[in-house]
Amino acid sequence: MASIELRSVIKRYPGTTAVKETSLTIADGEFFILVGPSGCGKSTLLNMIVGLDDVSGGEILVDGQVVNDLDPKERNMAMVFQSYAIYPHMTVRENMAFPLKLAGLSQEDIATRVEQAADILELRGLLERKPGALSGGQRQRVAMGRAIVRDPEVFLLDEPLSNLDAKLRTQMRTELARLQRRLGTTTVYVTHDQTEAMTLGDRVAVLRHGEIQQVGTPRQLYEHPANLFVAGFIGSPAMNFLPGRWSGGSLQLPLGSIALPPGLDDASMQAGTSLVLGFRPEHLQPVSGENVEAGNLDFTARIEVLEWMGAELFVYFDVEWSDYPGFTLPEELETDSKDTARRVMVARIDPARGLKEGDTLHLCLAAAHLQVFDGTSGANLRAKSV
Amino acid sequence: MMRAGRQDRRERLWWGVGGVLVVAYALVPVAWLVSLSLKPAEDLGDNRFVPRQITLEHYVTIFQDPQFSSALWNSVGIAAISTLAALLLGAGAAYAIVRLEFSGRRLMLAAALAVAMFPPVSIIGPLFNMWRTLGLYDTWAGLILPYMTFTLPLAIWTLAAFFREIPWDLEKAARVDGASPLQAFVHVILPLAAPGVFTAAILVFMFAWNDFLFAISLTSTNDARTVPAAIAFFTGSSLFELPTGAIAAASVVVTLPVILVVLLFQRRIVAGLTSGAIKG
Repeated sequence: MASIELRSVIKRYPGTTAVKETSLTIADGEFFILVGPSGCGKSTLLNMIVGLDDVSGGEILVDGQVVNDLDPKERNMAMVFQSYAIYPHMTVRENMAFPLKLAGLSQEDIATRVEQAADILELRGLLERKPGALSGGQRQRVAMGRAIVRDPEVFLLDEPLSNLDAKLRTQMRTELARLQRRLGTTTVYVTHDQTEAMTLGDRVAVLRHGEIQQVGTPRQLYEHPANLFVAGFIGSPAMNFLPGRWSGGSLQLPLGSIALPPGLDDASMQAGTSLVLGFRPEHLQPVSGENVEAGNLDFTARIEVLEWMGAELFVYFDVEWSDYPGFTLPEELETDSKDTARRVMVARIDPARGLKEGDTLHLCLAAAHLQVFDGTSGANLRAKSV
Repeated sequence: MMRAGRQDRRERLWWGVGGVLVVAYALVPVAWLVSLSLKPAEDLGDNRFVPRQITLEHYVTIFQDPQFSSALWNSVGIAAISTLAALLLGAGAAYAIVRLEFSGRRLMLAAALAVAMFPPVSIIGPLFNMWRTLGLYDTWAGLILPYMTFTLPLAIWTLAAFFREIPWDLEKAARVDGASPLQAFVHVILPLAAPGVFTAAILVFMFAWNDFLFAISLTSTNDARTVPAAIAFFTGSSLFELPTGAIAAASVVVTLPVILVVLLFQRRIVAGLTSGAIKG
């Protein structure tokens, strides 16, 4: 069991900086997630923690000890690879025994520990099989087994579920969470899937272009995203974004005007600066008649597409504008459409209402749920003052 | 249904006939050699494929000749050491070329290939003089060196191709599991590259075992003369007798090990050993 601390860790490759100066602390026993789009440096960060990659600058500490110059085998960490990387020429038993054999344990100790791990992961009946005769889910289990059998200080998981089919992935996700709680081992988990990040993590770090955007609990990331990128990356379906500006004591956006959300006041706003306004699909709610509270936004939308998910209904509609030039989002969040004066919005509403495509719907957004981002830097203006 | 069946039968017939032709083309000379080696001296010119009378007298003769047994020992020793050395160096070089990022990797592979393209005949003269000056003439080392040099490119290319197929994650996994770089190589990479190692071993061994040019030029006595060279020095029991029978017997004796080696290892030379390491 161990805590991990990164102090100004940097990774440079010839010509590029894969990981910019990064500092973070992972507490003992914590399930910590590194999430971000591909190429954001999350795997590099993991490889540096385990010692497969050297750091170009900064320090990595485990339980207060600098481990920069330690070989992977001296760090007592176990890793599960995206490709599983189980040894194809060894049986399941030999695979799991391999790290123990290298550690110099006695035959009896190895046998007991392999069998214990096999029981935890329900691999008992497969011990004498070769990996070639296993299904994807079973191979994944063997990789996990090889990791837990050593009782390591830290688990490092590099996209362990991304090669499984959707159903198995959900199932293994739950099992992973249960396993981690049971063992209480510090775990660092790399994924590009925000759902995995939200459901598994005690805390999540969102990375982009080798830089940490925000570290926090899934709830903090969801409710108080630090910037546009985090806001758009976390949550499914993604947050809706529209251009906006501050004028005449209220926020103007293509759908109308809305009051400032809590945390912002007139003094903090500058007239004329370009803003990006964001709101979650579930915060758009249908209203009937004229009973809209003052300061909230209400508008009518024509339903383009309906997606009925059983427990919820996604309503898609278009918003167009002509007087907000130069509206752009971070490239990873951009939709395919090159149209900079039109965006598709989505609302998540109760499916009990009988709606058809082509219907018009009266929707309302409470000012309290609005996120306000600086149009240039992308920083969340609300988060700054929270 | 009928059509498919007929097509199937015709295809099988085609493969059968083709196979028999290829095997016959390859094996008839060997069979002829075996037949010659078993004929008594007076029957050698009888133009019969199946010997009228079978005798082992030629085998007895060659093994009684001290020249042949020392040549056999030289052949085995030199070929084995050349194979081992070429494999050790080749595996190291191939692994470095595949795994390490350094400039000039491609150049290195190309240069290695260039070595293999040298016609041995063109360097045999200078080599003869150099070896005499260096004291390598008529020694085991004097033959092992050129054999190793000429087969190393082949070993590097073969092994590099196999190493390239092994997922790098496996080595990383071994390192995280607590293996030193050498342990990772020995326990994980080498077993997975086994088909490549055996392929390379067979190629190197056959080159060294079959070579005549270097062996005849760089040796002069029983100290280092290998079987292919020694056969050229066979003499008949009298001035007027060709040693055809003895040559045939010796040829059979040197062909057997190669066939044995290939048969022994062919089961290991199967691809697909890495299946199951990673997804798909």
